[in-house]
Amino acid sequence: MNRRVVITAAAAITPIGNTREQIVKSLANGTSGVKPLRDDELLSKYIHSRVYGTVDYPIEFDFDRKYRKTMGPVSFYACQVVKDLLSKAGLAQEFLSSGRLGVAFGSIHGSPSMQRNIYSTLLEENSTKTGSISAVDYLKSMVHTTAVNITKMFHITGRVLSSSTACTTSSQSVGFGYEMVKYGLQDAMICGGADEYDLTTVAVFDNLLAGSTAYNDRPHLTPRPFDADRDGLVVAEGAGAVLLEEYEFAKNRGADIIGEVIGFSCNNNGGDLILPNLEGITQVIRVGLENAGIGPESVDFVSAHATATKMGDVLEAQAIERVYGKSAPVTGLKSYIGHTMAACGIIETIFTLYMMETGFIAPTLHLDNIDPRCAGINHVRRLTESPIRTAAVQNFAFGGVNTSLIVKAFQA
Amino acid sequence: MTRQEIQKEVYRIFREEFEIEDPGPDDDLKDMHGFDSIDAIELFIELEKMLQISLDQEIKKEAMLHIRTVNQICDYVAQFLPEQEPSQPGTIRK
Repeated sequence: MNRRVVITAAAAITPIGNTREQIVKSLANGTSGVKPLRDDELLSKYIHSRVYGTVDYPIEFDFDRKYRKTMGPVSFYACQVVKDLLSKAGLAQEFLSSGRLGVAFGSIHGSPSMQRNIYSTLLEENSTKTGSISAVDYLKSMVHTTAVNITKMFHITGRVLSSSTACTTSSQSVGFGYEMVKYGLQDAMICGGADEYDLTTVAVFDNLLAGSTAYNDRPHLTPRPFDADRDGLVVAEGAGAVLLEEYEFAKNRGADIIGEVIGFSCNNNGGDLILPNLEGITQVIRVGLENAGIGPESVDFVSAHATATKMGDVLEAQAIERVYGKSAPVTGLKSYIGHTMAACGIIETIFTLYMMETGFIAPTLHLDNIDPRCAGINHVRRLTESPIRTAAVQNFAFGGVNTSLIVKAFQA
Repeated sequence: MTRQEIQKEVYRIFREEFEIEDPGPDDDLKDMHGFDSIDAIELFIELEKMLQISLDQEIKKEAMLHIRTVNQICDYVAQFLPEQEPSQPGTIRK
């Protein structure tokens, strides 16, 4: 069985907006969603990187308590994007509960704010009252909390996959969801990822000397993928989801088709858990193209992982150069919103779909002086009106996990 | 604490913690108001705060098997209260 898999709806919450219109406008205008890091009573005063990709607009979460009671902040994001997704998709409730619709959705580690509640109880002086750990704290904080809160809220009864592979979490969600539909295990999959505001993630990158610090007084000028003056990544919050459907199923129900997934690859560097690996990245890009049955010349847009770290960008540029040379236009979309962690793959896929639909390619922001070591590829440096027919979205994660997703403008 | 006071406090918990407004005293909370096992566990925590005691796990397990209504919850709470003087009208007595 080898079925076509189409994308029939998309929804996102990002630092540059949660509607298609807002996101397209921000990408076209070069608007950054990076803001000053929020102050809090925890670690913020110790953190050097004082910038954050921030969702600072109001979101009206209209969920009954029976759903809210098992949701941490990350699940609010997840359920909200899926609610938006399903309202666009128009699937019948009968299908949602048919067992033929599955969910592939994850976050990097559940809800860290809920986990902090648990730990703070245990760390209270003279505390013997484990009863003050709520019965639902685990449900709110567990690694698969996003996926199962989605299934609960929308009565979805198919397969559940909750990838939690750091920055490849949601690209794996889409890729594995694609394979489930392609090979007939499900007729449709809701795929995505989410991460909430979390200072511990910022602290981790801060301690690894990987967070941006030189633009604390000008947050909107960082991160700067591939730029000679880049100084690290900017952690961000957000969520995204797409609905994948088997083509005939989507066509028969009259769904609007906004794109097609034609290939996916995932590998591991088989070694260091932090350092990027040129061979691993190059291989995942090549295998993605092979899986899609196309050559590099067919790709007219590459969404680079491009976190703006010193080493990561160089190795990614080298890998892209090896495979594509200067043929494919390349943009680092994190320059608009920072690094949304588990959500980065899905958000960058959705940005790519929106650009595909609208007919333009957004440039990498702040790419004023290309790092000579990153110069061997076709950087997009200004807004380009050009149709994207086939795009590659690549993501790499701590743990040495790499993914490449190939999406195509839909043609019947 | 009188039976009336217990009931008032239980209704407050239902309203504030479970967003269930004024269930009938003999309503089946599960069937009529979607009160599930997670809610029951949360209710024990609230009752422990209210009574300022720590309930034994076996007692909780037993209660979860049988308690279905607000009236039953009030009866359950009443058994943990100290005996009151008979001169106090409406007081719960064991």
